[in-house]
Amino acid sequence: MHYEKPTINKIDFAMGSKYGSPVKTQKIRTNIAGINVNELTEKYGSPLFVFTEQEIEDKYNTLYEAFSTRYSDVEFGWSYKTNYLNEICRIFHKLGSCAEVVSEFEYQKARALGIEGKDIIFNGPYKPKEDLKIAVQEGAKIHIDHLFELNDLEEIAEELNIQIPVAIRVNMDTGIYPQWSRFGFNYENNEALEAVERMHQNGKLILNGLHAHIGTFMLDAKAYGMATEKLMHLKAIIENQFGYEIEYIDLGGGFASKSNLKGVYQSSEVIIPTADEYADAITNAIYDNNRSKKLPKLYLETGRHLIDEAGYLLSSVWGYKRFPDGKKGYIMDAGVNLLYTSNWYNFNIELDKRYEGENELSMLNGPLCMNIDIIEENIMLPPLNRGTVLSISPVGAYNYTQSMQFIRYKPAVVLIDKEGNTRVIKEVDDLDTVNYKEV
Amino acid sequence: MHTITQLILDNNVAFHPMMGNSYKLNETGKEIIAYLKEGQSKDEIIQTLSKKYEISPDELFIDVGDFFAKLRIYGLQQ
Ligand SMILES: Cc1ncc(COP(=O)(O)O)c(C=O)c1O
Repeated sequence: MHYEKPTINKIDFAMGSKYGSPVKTQKIRTNIAGINVNELTEKYGSPLFVFTEQEIEDKYNTLYEAFSTRYSDVEFGWSYKTNYLNEICRIFHKLGSCAEVVSEFEYQKARALGIEGKDIIFNGPYKPKEDLKIAVQEGAKIHIDHLFELNDLEEIAEELNIQIPVAIRVNMDTGIYPQWSRFGFNYENNEALEAVERMHQNGKLILNGLHAHIGTFMLDAKAYGMATEKLMHLKAIIENQFGYEIEYIDLGGGFASKSNLKGVYQSSEVIIPTADEYADAITNAIYDNNRSKKLPKLYLETGRHLIDEAGYLLSSVWGYKRFPDGKKGYIMDAGVNLLYTSNWYNFNIELDKRYEGENELSMLNGPLCMNIDIIEENIMLPPLNRGTVLSISPVGAYNYTQSMQFIRYKPAVVLIDKEGNTRVIKEVDDLDTVNYKEV
Repeated sequence: MHTITQLILDNNVAFHPMMGNSYKLNETGKEIIAYLKEGQSKDEIIQTLSKKYEISPDELFIDVGDFFAKLRIYGLQQ
């Protein structure tokens, strides 16, 4: 007989009856940055990712100002993984960001965009040695994740007959759960100091930076205060004990975007710290804990906070059904293949115009032949038509980079620039893109 | 043992009226619950499943152990 490993999983009804909205409430978005959503899908097809340059710039400027008015020596590194569409990276580089990459591919992407090695922060637990060597030769900022990498770097130093400036990634308890203790060296149990000691003994690497990325979507600015304090403390010990000069500290990414997390009912406006609160926490902790003559340069690798709200996915109703339980089920032309973050966000879903009729409990499903292809399991919607265009947001962070080539072609991406012009920054895939490199 | 007997099974979902919780089970999971209700011990269940599915008890020891761990986490087993 066929055997299946036994499973039991608790069903979570915590969503309760909070499906929301009175009978007639409708959320409507007729345009994005002044461009009509129906015109966008008519011209460029559906589904369609849309980004607005203005929203990226506004976010960037607000965050940059929050930091630079408190701390002059600050630089942002654009987190490629969050969104590495070339045009999006270009916008961030134009605004003054260097690049933060976590793989050889992202490194190559940054180089191809004209970013010099010295302006690339190379993070991540997996850096192939040959690529690491190139990054070293090109002067990238290498953030060591583990001892194997430290050994690799020492070998490279020997091969090249140089001393390599490096930083280490540090993980720590900042009072948040879950603690990201998988990356870098632990602060509390002295692993970080031991790694530095180990490095110092061989003299092939020169420590000049400390990095921490404490998590993503951090709703507590105080955690950054604590992380900064610990890095500054470590910096003082290292400078004292080993004579290294720690030129910079890097607090990683993780600032929240204005998305509604599943299971959290307060509006995002209420629970998400402001740019000023994040900036206060970090910069105050630097000033309060500085024991050196010189203040360190501050790097941030903010991803989602800067791009999430600048991205929309337009998706059209393809059909609908009545489920046996009475719920209305809409078949959309985009699904979880394009909306990786649907696992933990309740998206803002807006109609292209006002519709007649009372809201009813509905479900939005994607085009995949999979039961889990659900954009929204419970949403109150008026009766929609085939072809109704829904704006799904915020989707600027991680959705495009993590979207799957699965069942349907990956859609086009359009940018609305600051002048209000629209242009395709990535064309829709076709059979050639899918078959490319198959032999 | 006490709590397990109170589980009410309906298709793949088990409901515990006193705790007010529901649980999703697969076929083997349901089978184990049924054996537990009959009063079989963990070892006996492993033997039963081993004969039925022709799987080594060593392999089942891991799977059934994992299932029991879940039951404990949910407060369904001591
Ligand atoms: C090392 C590092 N830096 C920056 C980021 C960007 O994080 P976020 O998008 O939460 O700001 C990440 C994301 O995982 C990361 O791993």
